[in-house]
Amino acid sequence: MRWILLMVLSVSLPALADLEYLLKPRQIARDTWLLEGSTDNFAKANGGNIVNTAFIVTERGVVVIDTGPSRRYGEAMRKAIAATTDKPVIEVLLTHHHPDHVLGNQAFTDVPIGALAGTTELLHRQGDAMAENMYRMVGDWMRGTEVVLPTQTLTPGVKSFGNHDLRLLSLGGHTGADLAILDQQTGVLYAGDLVFYQRALTTPNSPGLSVWLADIATLQDLPWTQVVPGHGPVASDRQPFEQMRDYLTWLDQLMRDGAANGSDMAEMIRSPIPERFAGINLSRYELIRSVSHLYPLYERERMMRVDSASK
Amino acid sequence: MKWRGSCLLACWLSLAAQAGAIDPGKDPVPSVMWAFYQQQFLGNAPFIFDERVKLLAPPFAEDARQVPLEIDARAFKGEVVRILAWAELNPLPKIVDFQPLDSVLPWLSLRIRIEQATPLRAAVLTRDGLWHVGSTLIDAAGGGCTAPSVVRTQPGWEEHIGEVLGGRYPRDGFSRVRMQVAHPMDNGMVSGIPEFFINHAELRDHNEHVLARLELFPAVSENPNLAFDIEGAGQTRLLLRDNSGNEFDASIP
Repeated sequence: MRWILLMVLSVSLPALADLEYLLKPRQIARDTWLLEGSTDNFAKANGGNIVNTAFIVTERGVVVIDTGPSRRYGEAMRKAIAATTDKPVIEVLLTHHHPDHVLGNQAFTDVPIGALAGTTELLHRQGDAMAENMYRMVGDWMRGTEVVLPTQTLTPGVKSFGNHDLRLLSLGGHTGADLAILDQQTGVLYAGDLVFYQRALTTPNSPGLSVWLADIATLQDLPWTQVVPGHGPVASDRQPFEQMRDYLTWLDQLMRDGAANGSDMAEMIRSPIPERFAGINLSRYELIRSVSHLYPLYERERMMRVDSASK
Repeated sequence: MKWRGSCLLACWLSLAAQAGAIDPGKDPVPSVMWAFYQQQFLGNAPFIFDERVKLLAPPFAEDARQVPLEIDARAFKGEVVRILAWAELNPLPKIVDFQPLDSVLPWLSLRIRIEQATPLRAAVLTRDGLWHVGSTLIDAAGGGCTAPSVVRTQPGWEEHIGEVLGGRYPRDGFSRVRMQVAHPMDNGMVSGIPEFFINHAELRDHNEHVLARLELFPAVSENPNLAFDIEGAGQTRLLLRDNSGNEFDASIP
């Protein structure tokens, strides 16, 4: 009997221990902590921890920026915050509705969860399908994860939390409803997924690359000292903006040229990727996705009505 | 006597071929359905798995309702009688039966629905009676065949049925002709909506000479996208018919 118990334990303990997010908050500025994820794709090996989340310890309490890809992540984040400060969490701010940024909400239902109106609307419409897809890609890490909608609508302007004044910007290049947050005390800019750095950008809800390019210009003009991208390393120089602009411009031109040339989607996804983007993780994978999302708009621009009813 | 001998030899040779003397080679993709579809679509005709038939699709379906598919049998230019394509694990597997007759290259691109991860096949019949089978695999979260129509959510969609967007794009020695037809291509698998899809298409040149014929099946995505590579000058006419008998007609200058 004891042997059986030991055997069962030896099999089940490693399995349980494996599914632990090792979240180590790293201080990047005064009162400011970052939880940096990898630049990989969602996988069973990483539990979907491919995203940057952060928290600011203000005098009044802790402001959380994005809650991660799963309930388990949200709970681990909450523990990591408690291990860093005695102050209570007072509010969550969500940058946008994508699953890797909001599915940890379940661990924060005792505080207001704020998002742009468009974010709540998109999460309401697409949340369940996105969560389902996360279960498929990440597996058991997702257990118990459900969509929790924001409880508070954020509007652009300055919102103060204790000694930190956060400037909220309502932009839209990535999903149509993208919140960027500038901490006016520390100069840290939380760009959400408007900025990907060393990781290919994703476009499933992008209204168009020109909108996104305009957002990049808006963000770059802010008085920031550090940029926290949604994915990829923190930077204190312009590199993330330069890379975004370069990549967006290339992608846009590629699809323009393809449409003018009559190339089909299956050909577009095989397009060569410039050598200078070699350091950007997952660029081929994301090109395949972006062509699927955006190319139909480009190709229709280069077609005209040809049916007899139009003549 | 000599004539009779060689005739007998020829008969014996062709019989031997029919009897499976041609080794089809190894199936390049893992498949549980190959034997079934081979019987159903190719019957007892000889076939080989042939990488010269390029079946090009993304490794995964980002949108299972609109998966780009390119069928390239240009290695057999001038020899192709028919191209049959199907998605093995789709509830309605057949995609297209394409007959390039004249001045149309044995190349076709279109978009399809995928219900789950599946092998895709394009079987190319050449004049010698042999089927050349191109294969690929695609991964998918799935649901492309049973997802509700996007077209039907747009108010007034009925008004737009049969509208065709098109373009011609000059290439070296031929031109690419692309078309997008407004049609829901209902496959009968979405609750309460019967089959309603374009099942026949024909390409003609400016002299009404038929260049190619296609049978389309409801694995083809809604608002079908079709692209052909056509040799020779002049406008190209596209004639379409759906299974309700509606006929549509477009001319690409």
